[in-house]
Amino acid sequence: MISSLVPTWLAQAPTPEELKTQIDLSAQIQTETFYFWTVVVMWLIHVGFMAYEAGAARRKNLMSTAMKNILTIAVVTPTFYYFGWYIYGCMEQGFPTVGPDSMDGHAGPVQFAGFCGQTAPWASEMGPNLQNHLNAVFFLAFLLFSWTTGSIMSGALIERVRLSAYLVLTAVLGSFVWILDAAWGWSAGGWLTIRFGFHDAIASGVVHGVAGVFALGVLINLGPRIGKYTKDGLARSFRGHNTHLTLMGLMLIFTGFYGFYAACLFITPTVFPGWLNIYGSYTTLGAIAFVITIGFAGGFTGGWFASKGDPFWTLSGGLAGVIAVSAGADVYHPSLAYLLSISGGMLAVWAGNYIEKKLRLDDAVGAVAVHGVCGFYGVFLVGIFAGGYPTGLSNVESSMGGQLMGIMTFIPLAFIPGYVFSWILKKMNLLRVPPEVELEGLDMAEFGMDFYPEFERVPEIIIEPDGREVDGAPVLLDAYWQTNGKPAAPVGVGSEERS
Amino acid sequence: MFDTFPYDEWSEDIAGFWTWGPGSSTGTYILTAIGIAVMLVAFVGFFILENRKLAHQEAALKASGALDRPTTMGSAA
Repeated sequence: MISSLVPTWLAQAPTPEELKTQIDLSAQIQTETFYFWTVVVMWLIHVGFMAYEAGAARRKNLMSTAMKNILTIAVVTPTFYYFGWYIYGCMEQGFPTVGPDSMDGHAGPVQFAGFCGQTAPWASEMGPNLQNHLNAVFFLAFLLFSWTTGSIMSGALIERVRLSAYLVLTAVLGSFVWILDAAWGWSAGGWLTIRFGFHDAIASGVVHGVAGVFALGVLINLGPRIGKYTKDGLARSFRGHNTHLTLMGLMLIFTGFYGFYAACLFITPTVFPGWLNIYGSYTTLGAIAFVITIGFAGGFTGGWFASKGDPFWTLSGGLAGVIAVSAGADVYHPSLAYLLSISGGMLAVWAGNYIEKKLRLDDAVGAVAVHGVCGFYGVFLVGIFAGGYPTGLSNVESSMGGQLMGIMTFIPLAFIPGYVFSWILKKMNLLRVPPEVELEGLDMAEFGMDFYPEFERVPEIIIEPDGREVDGAPVLLDAYWQTNGKPAAPVGVGSEERS
Repeated sequence: MFDTFPYDEWSEDIAGFWTWGPGSSTGTYILTAIGIAVMLVAFVGFFILENRKLAHQEAALKASGALDRPTTMGSAA
């Protein structure tokens, strides 16, 4: 009886061609599913940033802070759809207008031929398309990176920036600046990749560093919060209204980072070894998961000791530690990553204190130190510890020269737009809320209500530079009267110059 | 390949029907232009709406006198 079934089974068995078709489709669906779930996990980054910043804000600015993170999605999504994705697909070699890198041309290495033509908003691949499952999920993964850049900047500006000004700035950062640097140095066909072997596998510089430096340019024009600095230029501390919410937010960001890291790889299910980094070089998902986990461990350790046990800086140190090892996460040994991430966590604390106390830049959450400084520190470290590893399809060796080339390209690329756009908004009186509104709190002006209606109001506490806790109201009013509502300590101006 | 539905015979028609496109057509250009225009209007709207709220609250706070500097007796001398 069995023998009679064999010919029937053989007759129904798929041919090799049919099997190949099935495997190809299965691989495509697996890839599509993989990126879809990285996007889901990456949403937690934005939940985390919202909670983190809202907790760090004073009670009177709670909702205005959270709303920035929510509306980041409202503006970066369409701007990235209409402009950002096209920039990534078609500007790997600079700013092309004609030739092979033009809109319908085939930019990049032959393996990615045709990608440029697929990234314009009117392309058939930018919608339901049974022939192309992948462009849409790639777009979404990069879109989530774009939101992340905006969220990195937003924390630095809280409690005095206008929501509308922030939205314009975040659109510039998320849909133009970062994605242009990604096209140049975070793609297989980017000119920094092909010509210099620039290596930033999990985006230390291209996402974190660039967002931090962009925020630096904005902070210079925005100025500190009223009362942040004494007449002598010494820094006071404002207490966030809910440190627990801040720490929860950071932990959510860390969870989302696993999706971020995974989305930075190409999955190639039918080709050994199954994973490529963003440049098309071999790696594994396990390798980067190893580094991110031990990077958190090292970062927490470094942050704890450098800040002498401060909770905020301990957790921020974890983030800084991971950022410091992200650029080489595809090749670092875990022990090396541990050591480097400890240094990153410590560097973030020292840089944060320097920026606040010496430069007198009021970065409310330490974004410039954690993301900007440690992001480019991570890029620099690759030149020392991963020099010689081949980068990209052309197998150009990573080197200190290539890393410095990337740093020298990205810092002005990030700083100049941040400074110029915020300067224009400042001149139009559209960058900062009126000082009276800042003193009262943005929530009353923007939303007409207090967001803890059942809780009794208590005096706002401010920490003076000598560590004393004082009632904030007279301090803030005095700062307001002294300066007629302008920031109390202009950036880079010492007390003797102001007097 | 599939044995429950004649996809092999229909695959090309199905692919064509369920594919957004053809790309770079007049329809897609028009949709894109409308989308960009709405996006830009939204940006302007964010500024106008917020500016109105902030100006209103600023005026209300100044009128209330809550932020005025207190006068001290004899300070004029």
